[in-house]
Amino acid sequence: MATSTVRSSDLDFSNIKARLKDYLQNQPEFSSYDFEASGLSNVLDVLAYNTHLNGLTANFSLNEAFLTSAQLRSSIVSHAQMLGYQVRSRTAASAIINLSVNLAGVVGRPAKLELPAGTTFVTSIDGVSYTFRTRESVYASDDGSGLYEFKNSTASNNIKIYEGVQKTKTFIVGEKTERQVYIIPDETIDTSTADVNVYETVSSSNFTAYTPLAFAIQVDANSTHFSIHESPNGYYELNFGDGISFGKSPEPGEKIIVSYLSCAGAVANNGTLFSATNDITVNGIDYAINVTTSAESSGGAPKQSIESIRQLAPIAFASQQRLVTSLDYKGLIESNFPQVQSASVWSGDENTPIDYGKVFVSLNFVPGTSATVQQAVKDAIVINYTDNLSVMSMTTEFVDPVYVYVEINNNFQFDPGLTGKTLGAMETLVYNYIVSYFNTNLRDFGQVFRKSNLATEIDALDKSILSNDITLKIQMRFDVTLNVENVGVLYFPSPIASPDDIFYRVQSDAFEYAGYPAVIKNRLSSTVLEIVDLDGNVLLDNVGSYSPSNGTVSLIGFNPSQIISGNSFIKINVLPQDDSKIEPLRNYILSIDSGKSSATAKPDRQTPSLKVNI
Amino acid sequence: MAISKAFSIEDGNLAGRTLVTARDMKYSDIDLTFTPKPSGDLYKKTDAADVKQSVKNLLLTNYTEKPFRMKFGGNLSDFLFELDTDFDIDLLGEQIIQAVDTYEPRAQVTRVDANLYSDRNEVVVTVEFQILSTSELVVLNLTLTRLR
Repeated sequence: MATSTVRSSDLDFSNIKARLKDYLQNQPEFSSYDFEASGLSNVLDVLAYNTHLNGLTANFSLNEAFLTSAQLRSSIVSHAQMLGYQVRSRTAASAIINLSVNLAGVVGRPAKLELPAGTTFVTSIDGVSYTFRTRESVYASDDGSGLYEFKNSTASNNIKIYEGVQKTKTFIVGEKTERQVYIIPDETIDTSTADVNVYETVSSSNFTAYTPLAFAIQVDANSTHFSIHESPNGYYELNFGDGISFGKSPEPGEKIIVSYLSCAGAVANNGTLFSATNDITVNGIDYAINVTTSAESSGGAPKQSIESIRQLAPIAFASQQRLVTSLDYKGLIESNFPQVQSASVWSGDENTPIDYGKVFVSLNFVPGTSATVQQAVKDAIVINYTDNLSVMSMTTEFVDPVYVYVEINNNFQFDPGLTGKTLGAMETLVYNYIVSYFNTNLRDFGQVFRKSNLATEIDALDKSILSNDITLKIQMRFDVTLNVENVGVLYFPSPIASPDDIFYRVQSDAFEYAGYPAVIKNRLSSTVLEIVDLDGNVLLDNVGSYSPSNGTVSLIGFNPSQIISGNSFIKINVLPQDDSKIEPLRNYILSIDSGKSSATAKPDRQTPSLKVNI
Repeated sequence: MAISKAFSIEDGNLAGRTLVTARDMKYSDIDLTFTPKPSGDLYKKTDAADVKQSVKNLLLTNYTEKPFRMKFGGNLSDFLFELDTDFDIDLLGEQIIQAVDTYEPRAQVTRVDANLYSDRNEVVVTVEFQILSTSELVVLNLTLTRLR
């Protein structure tokens, strides 16, 4: 007799019911189980449905039990907290402005002016007004002519302002029988802006400022640290030490005041024009504050996404709040700086040339991040993290990302009978898709271009597209100083095709040399690079060489007088040895040169040819 | 001319046996009233009673009631939500025949009658069907009434 087992973890209703029927098949008592309208079939429906629901519940519960498979934000945040990972809250956008007041001619003007912390400025973004504020007092001194230029605590005139509303929450510490957690019911908090002061009594003005635990180097019984975690319902919890060995805990009767920015997040990015909400009053008269924007607002971000938490929490756990491996740097930077889209990090011994004792960091910033903000982020990484957490004697060096461009030429056949689009419209469709493919799938560190993937996507773009073929070149850009001899090496991410007696392997765009428009090409059947005019006459027979196996192009003594395109660089493209994929090096980012890319359509009505070509 | 049937020697003993022209299949199902016997067991429905219970169960089931079988059932309650002037007996009959044809292979509907009692807000349906294995004719009376 065949035996049948109903697995309680089975998910598929039909399978469960089939197994129940298998069981009844071996029982002589009832024979009508297999007719869907029978009473027994109804009973089997109930049993199978119950087992099905139990299986689903068990499946969902188990999924939520692991960081890699959890779907609920509360589960993922909880797992991340178990790993000691600080999930990023909503982040306030910040801008850098210069402030001054002109009191020329004002009698009895003071030697010094102060703008207190919390001075507000407004900007309009997409028709919506946002309020920014200073978070420290700034001061200005009379330059002698009555011009006051405000400076921050580091004596810089770059004043940082943050978007948001300053909010405070006050807690009175009661008698403690259990560990107390203080709830901040505000999903818009930027936890990085939280200041926590603990007052001795409810009416006292003496307070102790607690600092974030995340920045603690050492913790003992007297440490005054706090931490703010996201709670399962999306609000936040303020925690202190245990009061015994892991930091102080506020005592009964003390008063806790938390002040923080409640911000709008990413929507407050890209504010360019700021104006002070109020004038400054001197000797009873109001004077306008002059505001100049040094860096537009950026860095505003929503709560960290669950996919980001899923990816970065294990890395942060592995790093143990220390910067040792490249992944430690990557995890810490990407977690704490929303302005950074991604980071690529490598050690000095992996660098070309080798440079021991250094860690090289390349940052791919969110588009639109100003140069000032980029520099501020780099400074913050060094001051707040690498100086404190990295291995001794290792210094951090920032390297700009290197953009490598791909010139794509796509030829595709399409059947006009299968679409209402014209030939031109089809070419535009494919061209736009190629550009968007690069913008969507590439443009980040470590993103590999695979030709067959793009070809497959193009085939699937429209049912009228029958086939397509892609030819491509890799392009890098050589920065040029006019009228001096330029020397340099371009490291292409792929070996270059060997020399050929018909086709050129290396070619530049046009520049002016010795009074003639010219380009750089390799000599046919040779790796030597020459400058030739547009008629093919050689103007300089050796301006460098290229190495097919290493993928390098070396220029020596290259002295152009003008770049025809008007750029400060010339584009040099090469034919790769293997064009099936382009794998970028560590700080390389692949992009498309849309101006040198094209899509060309050829109609194919799929009518079989009856003519034999002899 | 009369036809005589001959059997081989090996099958010769069949000559003395009764030839069964209809399948004699024994159907058994639980009784959906769940009435217990004095012994505590449930009563069973067998043969024609079994098929009759199935057909009744099928016709009184509405669409989407059975898990993962959206179109299972006679869906007769739909007819209770029509105006009595639009009541279509032919459509009701077709729906019953189609449901039995699809989901109850043991029975074939031979006749459907329906009477509308407007003053009592009910429809009385009579379904006559034949049990295919025994050719037995069974009549099933259903009263369709809205609960509220």
